[in-house]
Amino acid sequence: MHKEDHKGAKAPSVHSSKTAIPTDTPYLGFGLGLRTDHFHDVLQQKPALDWFEVVSENFMVDGGKPKYYLHAIRERYPMVMHGVSLSIGSTDPINYDYLRKLKVLANELQPEWLSDHLCWTGAHQTNSHDLLPLPYNEEALSHVVDRVSAVQDFLGRQILLENVSSYITYKESVMTEWDFLNEVAARADCHILLDINNIYVSARNHDFSCRDYLNGIAENRVRQFHLAGHSDYGDYVIDTHDHDVADPVWDLYREALKRFGLISTMIERDDNIPPLEDLLAELDVARRIANEVCNFDQPITPGNDTANHG
Amino acid sequence: MGFLTASDGRISEHVIDQGNIDKSTRLNIYKNAYETRLKEVIDTDHNVLSFYLGDELFDEMVSVFRQQHPSHNTSLRNYADQLPQFLKETLPFSEHPIISEIATFERLLMTAFDSQDATRFCQDDLHVVPTENWPELTFKFHPSVQVFYSKWNSVESWQALKSEKIPEPANRLSNCWLLWRNEERLTEFRSLNEEELSLIKLIVAGSSFSTLCEQLLQKNDEKDVPALALNYLSGWLNDGILRNI
Repeated sequence: MHKEDHKGAKAPSVHSSKTAIPTDTPYLGFGLGLRTDHFHDVLQQKPALDWFEVVSENFMVDGGKPKYYLHAIRERYPMVMHGVSLSIGSTDPINYDYLRKLKVLANELQPEWLSDHLCWTGAHQTNSHDLLPLPYNEEALSHVVDRVSAVQDFLGRQILLENVSSYITYKESVMTEWDFLNEVAARADCHILLDINNIYVSARNHDFSCRDYLNGIAENRVRQFHLAGHSDYGDYVIDTHDHDVADPVWDLYREALKRFGLISTMIERDDNIPPLEDLLAELDVARRIANEVCNFDQPITPGNDTANHG
Repeated sequence: MGFLTASDGRISEHVIDQGNIDKSTRLNIYKNAYETRLKEVIDTDHNVLSFYLGDELFDEMVSVFRQQHPSHNTSLRNYADQLPQFLKETLPFSEHPIISEIATFERLLMTAFDSQDATRFCQDDLHVVPTENWPELTFKFHPSVQVFYSKWNSVESWQALKSEKIPEPANRLSNCWLLWRNEERLTEFRSLNEEELSLIKLIVAGSSFSTLCEQLLQKNDEKDVPALALNYLSGWLNDGILRNI
């Protein structure tokens, strides 16, 4: 029964909603990043969450345990694919070998959507395996737009681009990050994955207003929210994904819900990974906040079927 | 990238100072993350090797390998593919060939872990083959199957460390090992004797079951060969190392 419920997971019914779900926005509900530590528990416990996000590169292998669990879990839950190697801002040629692998995996998984980051990850065929920020100017904008268009043409679908946490600002930048992200999305006709934690981290590191960022993002482009933890060193903040979501990020999530309405939300935890039930409890916090802001009357009691409510 | 891989400071000219944090501190956040990330990958993939080397030597290995081998892959899964060769050629590690062997063994375990899936050839499949067709029967190995030749007590040392025991000092010990992923998707390995290795080589070459039996005749009494051949075949089926073709 659970399996059927999740395969057919749709947007929760909006009872007396303050903020309606845009009819053209695929809404998945509340999800988690699928991590190796939780493979077994997910299959055994069939937890009541709406969807999983998987890191594409982790499953670009031929077979074995990772692929087995991936497909077994996909049978039960909607999924989205989240990549870290598109390197959309790099000056290296587009890596079509990588894109072919991405397309093969997407054909296998039939995800609701694919996302990656507004960044570059390497140059001269050398990979930093990090999400490096771009200079925000017209030259970079034009470069990224062309590449997003080429990638979308190759994949035959729109992608989502995520704002990254950053620690440096280039002298060559002449516009804000949010203006740059908006322009990329508008000109290349792609969607936005808004990482609420990354906005907070970058705002602290570059001394801009989180609210200005949210208000600067076009409402009709956002398809997904990320929530995550960070490490606060006082003078600066590092996006470590190894802590619970911090209170200021929950506050910002509330603001984001007010601006964008109910958007598919997930918690990204990449290190110091706690038991699955801890993350489910944290996801319930997101659900509770979303319910308070958007009033969609979704049950949050653990064990209730969150996908089957109307 | 030059800053991350070779501490080339030219990027600094393009970065501004902001607030209380100077640009050097800001850039070093990226450099520390880069170095830590690659070290963690090697540590995860070569967990026993890191114990074998100890912290100081492991850090030295990572530092030199990272400088000589920037990542050219989109996936970190393949970052340390060149590590065994690096250890074979680079002092001081090259003076102790067992180190490279342990690294090779660990990478083969990784290959067995996530290689392609395939349906196994099992006892039931064998039973439906008419007996008269057995001589012409050929076999193929499951894609996860690997053969590893060791010249040192590398696997024995790996096993000792995995069991949190102190390994014997390095010593020459020629052996051959079969590695594969079983039906429960767990990685297994066992040693191969000379006879079984010769049969495995024949299977890889596409030889038939009758050729395998002829091979067994070279060192065994004729009356013992049918039981011996069946014994080997049964073992392979139970291990799940043959694929259905």
